[in-house]
Amino acid sequence: MSMTFDTINAGDAIDGPSFAVSRESIRLFCDASLDYNPLHLDDDYMKGSFGKTHFGGIIMHGMNNFGLITRMLTDWAGPAGAIHRRLETRWVKPVRPGDMIRPSGIIKAKQVTSKSRWVVIDVIVRNQNDEPVATGEAMVEFPLSKAG
Amino acid sequence: MAQAGNVGAGTFETDFWKDANLRKVWDEIVPGEPRKTIPYVLTREAIELYCKAVGETNPLYLDEAAAKAGPWGGLIAPPAIHIMLMFACTPADDWMRSPGTVNAGQSWSYNIPARPGDTITLQARALDKFIRRERLFVVHDNVFFNQHGQVICSGRGQTIRPM
Repeated sequence: MSMTFDTINAGDAIDGPSFAVSRESIRLFCDASLDYNPLHLDDDYMKGSFGKTHFGGIIMHGMNNFGLITRMLTDWAGPAGAIHRRLETRWVKPVRPGDMIRPSGIIKAKQVTSKSRWVVIDVIVRNQNDEPVATGEAMVEFPLSKAG
Repeated sequence: MAQAGNVGAGTFETDFWKDANLRKVWDEIVPGEPRKTIPYVLTREAIELYCKAVGETNPLYLDEAAAKAGPWGGLIAPPAIHIMLMFACTPADDWMRSPGTVNAGQSWSYNIPARPGDTITLQARALDKFIRRERLFVVHDNVFFNQHGQVICSGRGQTIRPM
């Protein structure tokens, strides 16, 4: 049975694929995002402390989390004719080479508006120790013109 | 330093230390003042590279025939392509490139997809700045448009500025 707006319920889970973080994956994300901030490239630089923050080594781009959540949401919404409309995230914990991260979501609410239908989703990315590394909220639109 | 010409951004400077002294520090960033931006032609190669980096395999982004038969009538970019557009559409002296800039969170709204071949323009500015727990924050807002003047996406983020 394919998913429709009517069959979705608050509390339903969305699972995203695991993503292995490595020095190579971070370097590839530099090339793909054009973000060559030394936070993601330079271990010597990251041994220092800047501001109140000390990382100790290179970290993954926070926006890599964002991209993985987006991938999960579009893969979930697309087959139902739904559209990923919004994503808000914040980073909770740095992600480092060797970590294995995985996005997931829980349906928080459904909302019918005067011209459309919306699903609000709590999203989270966890690492291999089940610790949250990113949290956020997303909106997916189920347009009225689509069946369901 | 090496140039990332393969992503289609032309002579993109990958050494963020170069000309770092030309970039505004927190004190000099004026909330409300537009950032200088540059138009960027989005390429299939840039979309494919982004897809590879996050493991996207959706044929709407990668398979021209499948995309043509899909809901958008042709290839599109994933919504989060704005991650690279942010750097592609800003010059080397933009403060977003200051080494040590820490992204503290973002929110983005999506209107229509970007497509390969689109000439993307960006309207961007710092919107606010503040100090919290001895950290220097700047709030930035951004709107990406296509060559038809249609909004692709809009977003707001916070960065912690290097000290």
